Amino acid sequence: MTLVAKQGIRRSGSSDRRTPIYTVEGLRVHFPITRGVMRRIVGQVKAVDDISFIVYRGETLGLVGESGCGKTTTGRALLRIVEPTGGRITYTPPDGDPINVRTAGRDELKAVRRAARMVFQDPNSSLNPRLPVGEIIGEGLHYHGIARGAEIEDRVADMLRRVGLRPEYIRRYPHAFSGGERQRIGIARALAVNPNFVICDEAVSALDVSVQAQILRLLRELKDEFDLTYLFVGHDLAVIQHICDRVAVMYAGKLVEIGPTQSIFATPRHPYTEALLSAVPRPDPRVRGTGERVRLAGEVADVSNLPSGCAFHPRCRYATERCKTETPQLRPVGEQMVACHFADSLTLKGVGSYAA
Amino acid sequence: MTQPLLEISGLKTHFGVGGTTIRAVDGVDLVVNPGETVCLVGESGCGKSMMARSILRIVPPPGQVTAGQINLHRQSGKVVDLAALDPKGAEIRSIRGREVAMIFQEPMTALGPVQTIGSQITDAIQLHLKVSRKEARNQAIEVLTRVGMPRPEQRLEAYPFQLSGGMRQRAMIALALSCQPRLLIADEPTTALDVTTQAVILDLIRDLQAEMGMAVLFITHDLGVVAEIADSVAVMYLGRVVERAAVDDIFHNARHPYTRGLLRSIPRLGIRVGEELDTIEGMVPNPFNRPSGCSFHPRCVEMIPGRCDRVDPSRTRLPDGTEVRCLLHEPHRQETAPAGALQ
Repeated sequence: MTLVAKQGIRRSGSSDRRTPIYTVEGLRVHFPITRGVMRRIVGQVKAVDDISFIVYRGETLGLVGESGCGKTTTGRALLRIVEPTGGRITYTPPDGDPINVRTAGRDELKAVRRAARMVFQDPNSSLNPRLPVGEIIGEGLHYHGIARGAEIEDRVADMLRRVGLRPEYIRRYPHAFSGGERQRIGIARALAVNPNFVICDEAVSALDVSVQAQILRLLRELKDEFDLTYLFVGHDLAVIQHICDRVAVMYAGKLVEIGPTQSIFATPRHPYTEALLSAVPRPDPRVRGTGERVRLAGEVADVSNLPSGCAFHPRCRYATERCKTETPQLRPVGEQMVACHFADSLTLKGVGSYAA
Repeated sequence: MTQPLLEISGLKTHFGVGGTTIRAVDGVDLVVNPGETVCLVGESGCGKSMMARSILRIVPPPGQVTAGQINLHRQSGKVVDLAALDPKGAEIRSIRGREVAMIFQEPMTALGPVQTIGSQITDAIQLHLKVSRKEARNQAIEVLTRVGMPRPEQRLEAYPFQLSGGMRQRAMIALALSCQPRLLIADEPTTALDVTTQAVILDLIRDLQAEMGMAVLFITHDLGVVAEIADSVAVMYLGRVVERAAVDDIFHNARHPYTRGLLRSIPRLGIRVGEELDTIEGMVPNPFNRPSGCSFHPRCVEMIPGRCDRVDPSRTRLPDGTEVRCLLHEPHRQETAPAGALQ
């Protein structure tokens, strides 16, 4: 709890921001590796390994990392779409007592899943192709007993309008929509039951740039309109910087850095964050070849067979003997929390150094 | 001025579907010079992939190259019009993989799943070059080393599923480079990769190009990637090239409203949190239902009512070499435009 408490005082926004909505402590999601007919357990895939963070009411927290780092699994574990194997997840409703999500019974979990919703990456596979849009969006209303009969249709039509689709489309099937429109349907489905927390799992990654900008704007408008809190899972750092108040960086199932967006991007404290930022292509041919680019050698660490010490050490250009043996803990450095032994002494490059 | 390697003019690739025709590529002009990197940019459905496939004549049926010329200046000095060749004939097959090679977005589907990396590469080498199996194997090891594959001798025996995404992409690049092509067509080769891997693969393509002097036609929707590698850029919209210019002009002096819109809608690093992005309203129209006049006019912020929805703009070459298809830049019409707008 001490670690979580420390994070709690970092934010200097309105006092509202400091009220936690989701508190994650020591979250673990391990998958067993089995072999043979007896399904003998021969190892563990540590998809998420002991991570702690808080999402504050009204903020947008970004969760970034390379594929396979556990960011999607973390998002899913918050709603118990995948079952966590350790740790504590607490959801605090705006009015009411905190709910322990891990031990929640059927009714409590149902309440959590009404208040916390998810928008998925691929709008093609996350919408049932055999259901018309009205049923896709209305299903939640029915299931949670929010509306009945004709009222469902009214609310769905209203929801369609709010996400920028025509209410006449209510009887169409998903195949009749373009990618951007389908993502709007996915957003409408998430928001129909009046949630206060939305997990956007790579919600704009599959879209074209012009459509991506439209969806980002829509997400921002809806956030203000419905007073939402977002956990924005993504790998595009430019998008993350655009939409998030705070960012958490994951590597091989662990949180390596968390802090306010501006300070993480301007002065990253973890070598992995520096490398991620450096790899983003800069959309200006005039800066081509300028500035030193950090390139990561090798592959993302295998989460079923993690390197000893700091999991990032085989790819880290600052690694020392200590990194190979001693696992760094997340600790406060400046405005951020960083898991690196040398966070205080390293001078790392952020994006301030090349942004125009 | 050197002789261009590839000259495409008026290329049309159409798909006949149940009586109607989808004009996937609808009159494209493009030039690729030796050693140059040309980026073809556009949103999904603009026809950029079909354009690339048309060059190698691997358009899937019912698509067909219906008009235009694709002139390739062959190594022998001969000029061939690829558009006129039989897509299954001997001549195009002697070009594919030899003089013009292609890498695809998804290496898992582009590589054969039941053949080892080594046998795929040696097959390609033996098909085009008269060498022994052993010599082909040595060349395969050499090309794998060149693309930065660790332990290439062992990787020859590996199947694609045994490699990670970045390594698979390297294997595919090695396969494409095995016969030292003069033109490499890269269709979104880094889209499925993480940014960190993407950066490494882009560096690799750039280094190999410098080393081997080949030209690259790079297809992407990511303007950040374009800024990193392009010499010149062609922006496509609904089967047409709407603007073609040197990379610096595209980013700092874009002429077509579509190009300008695309540039404004990309989130850039260094943007302030909460800063609003501009967007292009609406979406790419359905190819069955193409707007009249300039096909971009329903989404264009600079649309001239009564003109852009009627007149199909022609290709205009501006003094600095930029080519653009937009009524705003057609010289004789520019003078009459205000009068037209008043009507």
